[in-house]
Amino acid sequence: MRIPIRMISIATTFFWIFLIVFLVSAVYSAKDVRFDFGEPQISLTSDNKILLSLPITIDNKGYYNIGCFNVTMEILDKEGFVITRASTFIPVIEKDRQVMVTHNVTIDVNDLLHNSQDYLFNDTELEGHEIISIKLAEVIPVQASTNLSMPWGAPLYNFTLGRTEYVGFDRTYMTAIVPISFENHASFDLTGSIQMRMYNSTKTLVSEGQTTIEAPRNSEYQGYVRLNVPTIGITENGYFEVYFLTPLFEFGPLVIPYD
Amino acid sequence: MTEGNKDSNNRLQKFTRKALKATIKGVLFYGIYFVLSMFLAPVSEIVPGFQQMIEVFVMVSIVLMIIGELTAGTIFHHFFNGAKALFVILYLLFALNGGIVDITVQNVNLIVDIRLFLAVAILLGLLGFAKSVLQAINFLNQKAEHVHF
Repeated sequence: MRIPIRMISIATTFFWIFLIVFLVSAVYSAKDVRFDFGEPQISLTSDNKILLSLPITIDNKGYYNIGCFNVTMEILDKEGFVITRASTFIPVIEKDRQVMVTHNVTIDVNDLLHNSQDYLFNDTELEGHEIISIKLAEVIPVQASTNLSMPWGAPLYNFTLGRTEYVGFDRTYMTAIVPISFENHASFDLTGSIQMRMYNSTKTLVSEGQTTIEAPRNSEYQGYVRLNVPTIGITENGYFEVYFLTPLFEFGPLVIPYD
Repeated sequence: MTEGNKDSNNRLQKFTRKALKATIKGVLFYGIYFVLSMFLAPVSEIVPGFQQMIEVFVMVSIVLMIIGELTAGTIFHHFFNGAKALFVILYLLFALNGGIVDITVQNVNLIVDIRLFLAVAILLGLLGFAKSVLQAINFLNQKAEHVHF
């Protein structure tokens, strides 16, 4: 019985040494793995969605390869609904190698507006949930997750219609000039058009018109819509229906009463 | 010198040898821990309580090892070896939270999945325990053979 016991002893000792040395070296070498997250870039995709690009550099100077590198980013609105989710996966990062990758997240503004139109008119914050997972030495799974809050700038912040001015009287028609102003707090340029419908107090469509808008990011826009209004249809009060048509989103009607 | 004095001298010699062996083993074990702890220092900085956890493990292991060595040549030696193997299994299971280590550092939640390592360590622990049982059986067998003769 001595020989089997001796064999078990040798095998156990060998495997214990192997296990401890492997685990300690894998954990120790993790300190030589560097992750650098660059400045996030915001642009537009060809199908008119907001593209958030995050450059990531992984410098593996450890003793082992890194397996299954995965970055997942979820963006949620205030109510906790997932607006978008994107993942970037690298199967293996070999030792003594540097890998650069861009993690892209697309946001469809229309999806955002589905839940709340507040995003168009009020600055707010979006919740971000970032998960990074790797396999140290291609064996030990490690996952790091964090919550971030991302500022959301409203593209039509403080959208207001000014006092309507009537000019160019004639017997049947007159021209109404409706001033428009807003601030584009968004991280993208806003181009498109604003359509406006004017209804009188009897809810009858009196006139409609449109104007093109071009508001670079972080700028103030001031313009107007010209409407040809039949004099017979004008009442003291009523309301405007405003429609926004841009490549990024379509929204309307926004009902604004006038008096 | 009487027969009784010779016997006690022999016992003292044996005990001194055992104590020396236990001391050497303990120092060696601590030396290995000391070297490994230098490699694990970055982890200790991140994970609160990690250093303490390892220290308790090393301390209990060394104590069991010394007692095991001092009781060498008796059945208790194998009992203590078995106890050491069981301690390793149970301590790893509790200390490593079943293989999923969850740490929160500032705003980052870190999860390390070492279930594979734990499974291998438990298997090795069980193998060590089985070895102690076999050694105990072998010891009793040999003792019975001596009595028979």
